[in-house]
Amino acid sequence: MTAPDPANAAPEAAVDTAPENPTETRVRAALDGLEVSFGAAQDAIVCVEFERELLHTVMERLRDSAGFETLTFVTCVDHLASTATEPRFEVVHQLISLAHGDRVRTRVRLTSDDATLASITDLWPGAGFMEREAYDMFGVRFEGHPNLKRLLMPEGYGHHPLRKDFPQQGIEPDRLYREWDRERRKDWNPKES
Amino acid sequence: MGSLTEARTSSDEGFLATRLDALINWGRKNSLWPMPLGLSCCGIELMAMIGPRFDISRFGAEAARFSPRQCDLMIVAGTLTWKMAKAARTIYDQMPEPKWVLAMGVCSSSGGMYDSYSVVQGIDSILPVDIYVPGCPPRPDAVIDAILKLQKKIERESPIKNLLAGTEVVEHEGTGVIRRQPNHAVERTELDRHPHSPAARETAVHFGAASPESLRGDDQ
Ligand code: SF4
Repeated sequence: MTAPDPANAAPEAAVDTAPENPTETRVRAALDGLEVSFGAAQDAIVCVEFERELLHTVMERLRDSAGFETLTFVTCVDHLASTATEPRFEVVHQLISLAHGDRVRTRVRLTSDDATLASITDLWPGAGFMEREAYDMFGVRFEGHPNLKRLLMPEGYGHHPLRKDFPQQGIEPDRLYREWDRERRKDWNPKES
Repeated sequence: MGSLTEARTSSDEGFLATRLDALINWGRKNSLWPMPLGLSCCGIELMAMIGPRFDISRFGAEAARFSPRQCDLMIVAGTLTWKMAKAARTIYDQMPEPKWVLAMGVCSSSGGMYDSYSVVQGIDSILPVDIYVPGCPPRPDAVIDAILKLQKKIERESPIKNLLAGTEVVEHEGTGVIRRQPNHAVERTELDRHPHSPAARETAVHFGAASPESLRGDDQ
């Protein structure tokens, strides 16, 4: 590989002002008038960043105006170690348009003391399980979710295991089992209690 | 089909008891009906073992039953999570005596590669295990070998003596009464303590977090 020829490299500013990417053009048109910024495209996917209050509006417009009719995933990233800044969680939504054959990704930053976000289960009912998983693993609360319970960990577990400050080997992983066990031992052997 | 070998050489239990023991043990060891607790990938190997190629019916253990009431041998084949542990323990308690437990694979023996918050670090923290089979997964031959070794172990039991004398009652952590000594062949030391053990938990330092409570969530 040789170094890229500077004559062929497109100047950075030109990309920002005149997007050639048809996906980006469509997304910009749909989100016109909203305070969103276009982050660096990753994996050739257009990335949109905005404040959390806008989430529901943005998703609705992307679905109805830009033609992204399918939700790929809702997930969360914990940036505790890498940035040490307070908007610690980053909730990522990704949509796909089957008609146009392209994708868009959105990012919202949340602080740990108020990690709440609007649910999009009314737009895509399938988001329900993914939001439950994000709640279970990171403790992000989705307001308006019809049934925001833990998905993978047992109920009452008390921790959110994919947070970066959660130890890999867990904190009292057997607590719920032991509690259950103690209760039923009483039935087996009433003398013990 | 095995043989009516004499179980023990010591003669302090009398001729009739040892003969009856031998007969009962012969019956028990040659009809070990497994409870297939196939929890993950090891379960596939368990199915191969039960199928015609490896065929554990040669050893009287082919009748895998999905009702714990009809089982003698619980084969824990796979990764036991703490969420599943309650179910596993309930199934074990529902099995009638006499019963044995086989830990198939490193996951059920020790937690294996899942040194993790969700996995039981060895099913012997909730069940009395008779025999461990290493491997990830173990080949069916290895599990068959374990079943043969378990048959040897059953040969050495003395059911009549236990029946007459009242069994030695062992309280195993968990539920009610278990009539066989769990495997304590390995002495544990302070250094062997796993972070999941209650003693280690009290002294654990969790990666700079002030205390376990400070990391606790809000849903309890
Ligand atoms: S021991 Fe290996 S094959 Fe068996 S359940 Fe664990 S990971 Fe799967």
